[in-house]
This record gives sequence, C-alpha cells and structure tokens, in this order.
Amino acid sequence: MTAAKEFEVVGKRLNRLDGEGKVTGAAVYASDFALPGMLHGKILRSPHAHARIVRIDTTAARKMPGVRAVVTGASQKLNRFGNFIKDFEVFASERVYHVGQPVAGIAADTEYAAKQALRAIEVEYAELPAVFDVMEALDKAAPLVHPDWQSLKAAPIIVREGNRCSRTVIKVGDVEEGFRNSYRVYEHVFRTSAVHAGYTEPRVAVAQWTASDQATIWCNTQLLFDTQSTLAEIFGISPSHIRVIVPGIGGGFGGKLRLGMEHYAMALARAAKRPVRVMSSSEEELTAALFRQPTTIELKTGVDREGHILAKQGRIVVDAGACSGSGPLVASTGTMILAGPYRLPNANLEGISVYTNNHPNGSIRAPSGPMPNFATESQMDMIAEDLGLDPLELRRRNILREGDIAVNGQKMTAVGLEECLDKAAVAIGWDHRKPEHNRGKGLACGWWMTSRGSSGSYLKLMQDGTLTMMVGVVEMGTGALTGAAQVVAEEMGMKLTDINVVSADSLTTPYDFGSQGSRTMFAVANASREAARDLLGKMRVRAAKALGADEQALAMRDKAFWSGEKKITFAELAAQANTAGGGLIAEATYIAPAAEHDASRVQNHFSPSWPSPSFHVHATDLSVDDVLGEVTINRYVVAQDVGYAINPTYLEGQLEGGAVQGVGQALSEEIIIANGHVQNGNLTDYKMPTAMDVPKIEVILVTHPSVAGPYGAKGVGEPPTIQPPAAVANAVAAACGKRIMHLPITAEKILLG
Amino acid sequence: MSTTHELNLTVNGEEWQLSVKGTETLLEVLRKHLTLTGAKSNCLEGECGVCAVLMNGRVVNSCILLAAQCEGAQITTIEGLANGETMHALQTAFLNRGAVQCGYCIPGMIMTAAGYLKENPAPTEEEIREGLCGTLCRCTGYTKIVEAVQEAAQTMGAK
Repeated sequence: MTAAKEFEVVGKRLNRLDGEGKVTGAAVYASDFALPGMLHGKILRSPHAHARIVRIDTTAARKMPGVRAVVTGASQKLNRFGNFIKDFEVFASERVYHVGQPVAGIAADTEYAAKQALRAIEVEYAELPAVFDVMEALDKAAPLVHPDWQSLKAAPIIVREGNRCSRTVIKVGDVEEGFRNSYRVYEHVFRTSAVHAGYTEPRVAVAQWTASDQATIWCNTQLLFDTQSTLAEIFGISPSHIRVIVPGIGGGFGGKLRLGMEHYAMALARAAKRPVRVMSSSEEELTAALFRQPTTIELKTGVDREGHILAKQGRIVVDAGACSGSGPLVASTGTMILAGPYRLPNANLEGISVYTNNHPNGSIRAPSGPMPNFATESQMDMIAEDLGLDPLELRRRNILREGDIAVNGQKMTAVGLEECLDKAAVAIGWDHRKPEHNRGKGLACGWWMTSRGSSGSYLKLMQDGTLTMMVGVVEMGTGALTGAAQVVAEEMGMKLTDINVVSADSLTTPYDFGSQGSRTMFAVANASREAARDLLGKMRVRAAKALGADEQALAMRDKAFWSGEKKITFAELAAQANTAGGGLIAEATYIAPAAEHDASRVQNHFSPSWPSPSFHVHATDLSVDDVLGEVTINRYVVAQDVGYAINPTYLEGQLEGGAVQGVGQALSEEIIIANGHVQNGNLTDYKMPTAMDVPKIEVILVTHPSVAGPYGAKGVGEPPTIQPPAAVANAVAAACGKRIMHLPITAEKILLG
Repeated sequence: MSTTHELNLTVNGEEWQLSVKGTETLLEVLRKHLTLTGAKSNCLEGECGVCAVLMNGRVVNSCILLAAQCEGAQITTIEGLANGETMHALQTAFLNRGAVQCGYCIPGMIMTAAGYLKENPAPTEEEIREGLCGTLCRCTGYTKIVEAVQEAAQTMGAK
C-alpha cells in the first residue's frame, strides 16, 4: 500500500550522510585511532595444530628494548568465551588445538619492538595427535579436539557428542516413501572451501583501562554490545564498565562480528597500565581470522517424471575448526538453504558442525548461504539435464509462490521469486543458453531471512531545527543508517541532511543487536520511525499551546506547525522547550515479530522461522577458455525481491558488491589448509576479484513489500553472496560440459577435474 | 635499522624536512610523521592498493616505498586532491554515483584513478577496469566505481 504513495525522502537516490569524509580522507577509522602514550601489541601464535604446552619462558622477552608488558595464559586469569560453546581461550593455558592459536602477547613502544620481542619468548611444546578432516573427526577413534567437551559450558540448543559440536534437523513427511514414489533419485556430494571475509581494514583495537575495573575500547567490531558483554565475561567485570566505541570500520561482511583484537588489547593494556593498540597483520588476517567454514554436503533428491520434487534428504557437515564459533549456527541455518525456496512434500535435512584441529571459523555474510545453495542449485541443473528439461522450467515447477508452505511449516507471503526468475531469465537472454562454443549461461535461485534482534533509537530536536538520531549500531558501509535517516526525515517532514546520526558508542547509544543478519536498516528504521512519531506528538502539543490552536487543526510543512497564517518552526519549538520544558526528546525500540512455523518439523534449530523472507535469482553468461580453463564472466544479472527500495543507489551497491564477493568464492578464493597450516597467507595467493575480473553487475529490483518492513523493505545485505557459486557452476557446465562439485571452480578443476 | 636520513619532501604543496628511519616507508611517514591518515594501511605488501598516493604525478603504493627513496619528491594524497573548498571531479563523482560504501579503499581508489586519468584522459570501461585493478574493494563490486570514474573523466574533459 505504502509503496504506491509518492514520498519526499524515502525511495530517493540521495547521497549518503557519511560520504564527504570518505572521499576527502577526513573520515576516521579504527585503524587511524591513537592515544597519547599508546603502546603496540603483537601476538605469539602456535606453530602446532595440537600440542601440550610444556613450558613458556618470557624472561628474555621482558628484557628486550621497548618491551612494557608480556601476557600469557598463566599470567592473567581470563575466562573462556564463545557465542554458543565456551571453547575459546584468550591465550592458551595448557594446550594449543590449532595453528595460529594465541599463546602470548607483548606490548612495546613500537610495533617493531613488539615483533622482535616475540622471537625471544621460549615455548616448549609436546605434540599431540590431531584431526583435520571432518569425516575422520566424526569417527569414534578420532582424537578429541576437546577431550573435556562435556565440561565446556554451552547453550541449551547445542547437542554434542565428542567432536560433533551441534546437530539440527528439519523433518517433513516421510522421505523414504517419497523416494519410493520417485521416478528418479539423484545423490551427490559437494564440497566448499574456507574463504576470508575480505574487508580491507584489518581488525584493530585500542584499549585503555580507566580504573581497575573499567575500560574503553576503540575498535572496528560490527557488534558493539556483543563485544561489550563478551569482554565483560572474559575479564569478570560488569558490562557497563566496558565502553566500546567504533570510530569507523573498513568493511565487515560478518568477519568482524566476534572478538578480533579487543581482548588482546585489553589484557595487554591491563598488564602495561598504558593504552595498547593491537592490529592484525595481513598475514594474520589470512591465517588466523574467522573464515567462512569449509563444508561437505550430501544431497539426495527424488523427483517425478515431470520434475516435481517428491523427497529431499541432505546433510551439511560444517568444519567448525578447533573452537565451535559460528559453526552450530551455520550448520543449523544451512538446512533451510538445503531445502531451498521450493515446495518439498517430504524432507529430512540435517546440519552438524564438527570440531577439527583447523583454524576456528566465523559468520561471513549469509553465513550458511553459498555452500548449501551451491549444492542444491547445482543439483537442480543436474536433474534438469537428466530429465531433458530446461533448468528454468524445472525451477518454475517447484518454486514457492504466494501462500505456499515452506519446509519449516511457515506460510509464505510477499513472494517475489517467480518475478525474479522471469526477469533474470529475460535479462540474461535465457533463450540462447549456449550461444557459442565454450560459452554458456546459468542461473540459481535462493531465499534468505531478515534476522530479528532488537534496535533502539533516541531522537532529540535541536535548536537549529535539525534532528539528532542516536543508535547503537555501526554503519558498516552499507548505507543502513542513511536509509534509516531517510525514513526519519520522511516522518518528520525534514530533509535527509537535517538528520544528524550518532552511532556506535555503547555508553551513549541505546542497545542494538548489531550490524548483521540483513536487519540493520530494517530494525533501526522501524525503531526510529516509531520514535519520530512520538516526538512529533510532543512537538504538536507544544506547538498547539504556543499558537493557541487545537492540536488536530495544526498543519505541518516546511519544518513548522501552522495554524492558518501563524506558525511556529521546529527550531523555535526546540529553543522554547530547551529553555522552559527540558527539551524535545523521544525514544523507541523495535524487534521484528517472529514468523509462525510448525515446531514439530524442527529440532534444535537456531532460526526455525524466517521473518520477512527475501527471494533472489542470479544469472550469468560466461566463457571458458579451451586451453587455459580460465573463466571470463561476460555478463552477470542479479534480480532480488527487496520489498521496497528506501534508497535504490545503496541497495544496488549491496547487490553489486555481494555478487562480486560471491563470484570470488565461486572462482578464485580459497584459504588453502594442509594439516592445519594455511598455505596462502597473503593477498598475492589469496585471490579476491579485482575490477578486471568482473563485468558491470546488472541489478533488477523486485518489490513485493514486507508487512513488517519500513515502507515494505526487506533485509537485503547478505543474499547477493548466496547464489554466485551455483550460478557460475551451472554456467560453466553449460559452457563446457564440466560439472565442478568442489568450490572454488579453478582452471585446474575445469581442465583436469 | 636505526640509521636516520634527512628527507626533503613536498606533500600536498607543503615542504617538509623530516628525519626518518631507513626502514620507514612513505606510508609511515605520511600517517605517523605528518598525521595524514587518508592513505590507508592494510596488506603492506603492495597488493591491495588502499595506500595509493601520487608521487610526481604517478600512482605508487606508499606501503612498499621506502621514505628514503622519495628525496625531493612531490607527493599528493587524498587530503591534497581538492582545489581548496572545491572537491575534485573524482570525489564528486564517487559521492554522486554511490561508489562509496565503507570507504576504506576509496582514498587509494580515487588517487589511483587520478593518476590513471592523467595518462589516459578518455578511457573506455575496460581501460578503467584495468587501470583500477591494483586496488581491491570488497564492498562495491566496482560497478559504481567504474561509472564514477567515467563520469569524472567526462567532467574533466569538458573543462
């Protein structure tokens, strides 16, 4: 309904509020932040995948020039942490269980001095048996990554057994019956590799203790309040005594959700009694960051003669690494992606996460999206080929439409999938799917959710008639806070530039679930919109009194309330209220309502229902070089149901950037790990797409408004990374007949695989 | 390690006499000695391009250039690109085209484009992509960045 109306501020291609500082170099990022007297910290990391620490001697290191503090697992009592299982240690205490695990930290006058001193720390290790393959790790005879797993505290939803650190199941109908009734049954195994989030600003933190139990941290986290509570847990102090500030952040993509350098900076600053900065090196980023998990996916699908899916059985096995991290969440949500946006009368989908002695992993943009989507959508094309059907037609016969029941029992509304499919197919020229030798087109469908979690917003009217909006999220670059400010400006009858945004300070801004889950603009805009309406009510009361008029009779235009020819401006109202009535302020909070689902279908599921689901189709046209196996992407189309476009420019930016990030995972990006050791820890050998590797991304915005979203908007940030691996794999198969089952799709695999 | 050099440098039109260590890079001199933090720090091995600045009009990765090699050089950083209060055409185009997201690569990207447009004032889309390929951006997927550079080239050519 709302989308049809003409608006003044929302729906417009307005420039972002934080843009000028970013093009002039004036913007301050966490890595630019410094304090007087600040020291520099460096971390000593384990060279072994699994070993007992026999002895650590820091005597020589302490005597090195410029060294102010040395911290080990024995020198400070720090509590274990972890978002689902408390299996992370700040510094290893008795054992190391992955390569790169922090063993000690040094704070020195310069980074160089700290680095030199690391070499003077003597550590004696006794190596222990390790396991690197998830399937081997599941074997009863495998070494346990955490022999004490039963004593590690975990969230109630976590079901563990030895190295298996979580298990989620979705069950519908009877899959065996479905397979018996099927015309054909297809079974495949797919694999995906670890990838890095790829943000260009390394993780960094500056910590300063302001009292024995109080600290301030300037860092580049995506989650202020999760960082605050995790640090409080580690250091055993009150969360309100930890102030987290993000001066600016150079990209996140999920790679900065969990602690980066904050805990090391805090431990070193406490020991040194000076502010300490710790910044991850590029090598540390590529060998010791929180990667997207490698996965193994088994998928079995039964169809009738016409290609209707009758049964689907699947398992996603997630290599969590040596600490569970986001593994349980990825395995759990992965089951929904295994199902895909399709009608499934019978399904049995399982997601498990497994400890190995590989590096722990995190939650990269659409954490469980690209891997199971690669499996599901590759298999859809393989089924279509076997049945002699057009892959587009096979999808048409199975996709979710308005009112359909999804695998979790949720009734689907505002389903723009068919429109995305149609428009993407037309745009890519689907009728000529194999236009020439070694050239082909492929497409992939997907769905995702708008994550929940609460947002708060404080508003105050300023004496100059502008409005200050204070929110607890980080503007990661997506434009989420410009979008939220557009919503507020629309409500207030103001210009976008009348909104002053204050964000990302845990002490002064309200609680927020954080910049994650495609929910930032959605939730912050809803909270702020509610607050704006409350503020307008208060302003109206005051204006009516001042003008001696009836509240309801007042008109609002040009940042003033009018009674006939008499007016009082917003600026006058604010000035008057500041002097006589304590100012004009308002606040509101928002959390998205849960979507209804059938609880009997899910076991231990982290996100059993999908609020404001989004739907998307990617299509690509590419060529494969006969001799070199090199893939050239000629065209790339993204069609996404975004609900409503608050700011089409930045929305397109999300889809363009996400697609290219996904193309990186499809074709070139891989953290290569051998026996727990990363083999390509530099940006020469870890290949992110450059401007030369991709074409212009063609974006189609489809708008089926969400009832809950601001002006009908849905979450948009994560989905575009989901479909590229499958769309590219399908196009490669169309181009040269090679079906690649293991990401990335390298030239070697195309030529030799 | 601790040998120091006297360095004469012109940065954004200002002349400096600095005492720098033999191991210090141009990026360190800009960020630490001159507190010009527009040029960013990331890979420190010349792969990502967020540290790009102009040296005597040409694009260099300041993270792998020793400061001592810059004796007498004219350096332009993102802070010196605007003409007084008037933004450079690239800065305006990047803003208006929505080519900026997190912004961390943007100083490097704009300086790279500024250097490239001096060599090739009317580039094709393909040439722009080649010209910018030394600077990584994870946010934008490059589409709007390429459009912004095209727009700026036209604006600059029209003058």
